[in-house]
Amino acid sequence: MAGRGGVAVAVGGDGTCPGGGAAMRMAIAQYYARPSPIHRLDPRCKVVAVTALVVGLFLRSSFAALAVYGLAAAAGLLLSGVPLGWVARGLRPVVWLLVLTFVVQLVFAPGPAFYSLGPLHLSMRGLAIAGYLSLRLVVLVVASLLLTLTTPPIALTDALAWLSRPLRRLRVPTEELALMVTIALRFIPTLMQEIDTIMKAQRARGASFSRGGPLRRARALVPVLVPLFVLSFRRADELALAMEARCYLPGAPRTRLHPLQAHRRDAVVLVAVAALVVLAELI
Amino acid sequence: MPLIDIRGLRYRYAGAADDALCDIDLAVEQGEFVAVVGANGSGKSTLARLLGGLARPAGAARAEVCGHDLCSDDGHLDVRRDVGVLFQNPDNQLVGATVEEDLAFGLENLALPSPEIARRVDEMLARFDLEPLRTREPHLLSGGQRQRTALAGVLAVPRRVLVLDEPTAMLDPAGRDEVLAAVRREADRGLTVVLVTQEMDEVLLADRVVALAGGRAVFEGPPAALFAERELLHELSLGLPPAAEVGLALMERGALAELTLTLDDLVAALQAGTP
Amino acid sequence: MRRRGAAVTELEPEGARPLSVCCEGVSFRYDEGATTIAALRGVDLTFAPGASVALLGPTGSGKSTLLQLLRGLLVPDEGRVLLDGLAAGEGDVEERRRRMGLVFQMPEMQLFAATCRDDVAFGPRQLGWSDGAVDEAATSALAAVGLPADRFGARHPYSLSGGEQRRLALAGVLAMRPGLLLLDEPFVSLDPASRRDLEAILRDLRTGGMGLVLATHDVDRAYALCESRVVLDEGVVVDAGPWRFGAGGEDVLLAHRLKPPFVVELWRRLGRGAAEAPPQLTAAAEALA
Repeated sequence: MAGRGGVAVAVGGDGTCPGGGAAMRMAIAQYYARPSPIHRLDPRCKVVAVTALVVGLFLRSSFAALAVYGLAAAAGLLLSGVPLGWVARGLRPVVWLLVLTFVVQLVFAPGPAFYSLGPLHLSMRGLAIAGYLSLRLVVLVVASLLLTLTTPPIALTDALAWLSRPLRRLRVPTEELALMVTIALRFIPTLMQEIDTIMKAQRARGASFSRGGPLRRARALVPVLVPLFVLSFRRADELALAMEARCYLPGAPRTRLHPLQAHRRDAVVLVAVAALVVLAELI
Repeated sequence: MPLIDIRGLRYRYAGAADDALCDIDLAVEQGEFVAVVGANGSGKSTLARLLGGLARPAGAARAEVCGHDLCSDDGHLDVRRDVGVLFQNPDNQLVGATVEEDLAFGLENLALPSPEIARRVDEMLARFDLEPLRTREPHLLSGGQRQRTALAGVLAVPRRVLVLDEPTAMLDPAGRDEVLAAVRREADRGLTVVLVTQEMDEVLLADRVVALAGGRAVFEGPPAALFAERELLHELSLGLPPAAEVGLALMERGALAELTLTLDDLVAALQAGTP
Repeated sequence: MRRRGAAVTELEPEGARPLSVCCEGVSFRYDEGATTIAALRGVDLTFAPGASVALLGPTGSGKSTLLQLLRGLLVPDEGRVLLDGLAAGEGDVEERRRRMGLVFQMPEMQLFAATCRDDVAFGPRQLGWSDGAVDEAATSALAAVGLPADRFGARHPYSLSGGEQRRLALAGVLAMRPGLLLLDEPFVSLDPASRRDLEAILRDLRTGGMGLVLATHDVDRAYALCESRVVLDEGVVVDAGPWRFGAGGEDVLLAHRLKPPFVVELWRRLGRGAAEAPPQLTAAAEALA
């Protein structure tokens, strides 16, 4: 696949928190651009490989299999050269889930206990299960991060569109859906800026978004959501017109500036992943 | 044969009580630069969309643009290939995740081969001075840069006519200059341009101006002739450069004979009038 | 100049009291991805009560950021903003903040209510005023912007034209009876007739004693509406004070990609002395006729 110079799609907005200047950063489909063997792979290959990894993880519940997949994912990450800080940031959303999973399994798993307190008991088996499930979650997240950190969103949607082509036979408009996703992603930073501005404007009129219970706060969002919806509908109208003016016709065949191009290395990777899955099954 | 050949054009929005456009005649030759002016609601944006094949006329004695019949099913779709339309809001025209992706959009829609698309994109980046912004995301561009990108995207597909619907209305002065300079360059290269605007200084770029009021054409002629029509100027609520505002006020007081459009003209006229 | 709608209703002096605003060494930074942008650096400014000040400078010079800092929507990274001598957290600084109205760029995007009256009443309601006071405030604000309540009160905000929506948004801010009005590029994206209407409304407010801080690219309107100006470039205050002409005055503007006001240029070319140039084009025409 032709290498593309990329900018990290980390979205920034201006800060409204006390302490000033802090950015409200929301990472959507985070992409870290770097020339690396992983980045250069065809996105379709990466999607299939990661999917195989994920499916394989659930096929076999053993520490050995987990080790195989874990090492593969780690190797992939190292090869991609993405800074560990970005990976850690990607793991942050699941930290609580991880902790919860670990604790629940540890405490409620059946098995001979070495410590009991009423209905709760700690057992070796519980420890093993908790450890396994938590680690598996980590490997899962790392594997999907491998995909999103090394693939620009538009390449990802192209890959998914290509892979879901068989659905077209069932009248599913995969090409149009892919374009919709691309456009939606493109407008996320714009929407974030607009939300920020609207909230500030309403705050300047005395609105408060942090007062009162959940019901009151929900109602306080109306002066933000209504204008946002209106803006978005107007945008949709104007955008559709502009697209038609540039000869867009849903259903008509379209080519791409950067078409997906598979190379031998993609086949090699797919074979390697298949071998990995077999290995994990046999261990 | 004029490139745009329209007679008796009519259009009415669904559910509207009156025609948005009524009995419009417009003939534009290849290479001409025509301005269309009018107050809000005069029908000028509607005309822009009809010319671009984005809506079908309710009726017309003749409505041919680049040889396509605007009234026919195929015609109004085919005309979109030859007529490019640039709209007012720069943000709501950019679909691509980056500048180069957006420039490619129109070419992709025509299913051109990828190397051809890449070639045209490179050409547009150079022609509109966008090369340094090739991989920039739209939300990181200034208003003027966005509108220039949108313009380049529209013209990436070779067009015979460019229609612009108040393209600078949402831009700051720097952005306005950028976009108008780009439009003027394209016009100098022979592109046929129809510019819908409310700003008098943009009208001055044109060879000819058509004024609309209430959906009807009320004036057609060179810009200088329009500026002699004081009553009409008031009705059209154009944005006047300061020299013209002062000039008009002086004309009302009988202190000036001809409308001045620039500082130099005004100074010269005033100094000449001093006994 | 055309003036639509009812005659101007003077906003109640009670509540619309002027206030002084002062910036001491204010700096502010944005983080955009991996880079930090210094929006404002070391800004020292004083706005006297009732003053009318134009904030001039190219896009990105920090005008919007400064307005939001003045209003207290942003907190400075360095320095402080004093309202009537009070800093953040001191005394009744919140009450001073409420006396400043900020009209954002493209303020139509704040309209959300089902009727014009409800939208304009939003601000006063948030301030906790009584129903009677809210009603009164909404009615007089609508009148002040030329959208009288009996004709426009029950209409849906989105049924109004672009220019009317902008005036409606302004009414929403005026209803809170500010003593100082901060406006961020109020003339942008407005058709020429609406620009003229808005200028007339602002002039009427000035006549009524409203303080004004007007961030704009339109130097001519800035000169017509404001007695002094602050020139910002890349986050730094380059010049501040009453309009100065003759040697040195215009140079500041030109050096920062701003054109001097048209009337000033005209007066100079006609040998009449730049400092004598009247702020408004109609007055200029009178003088020349």
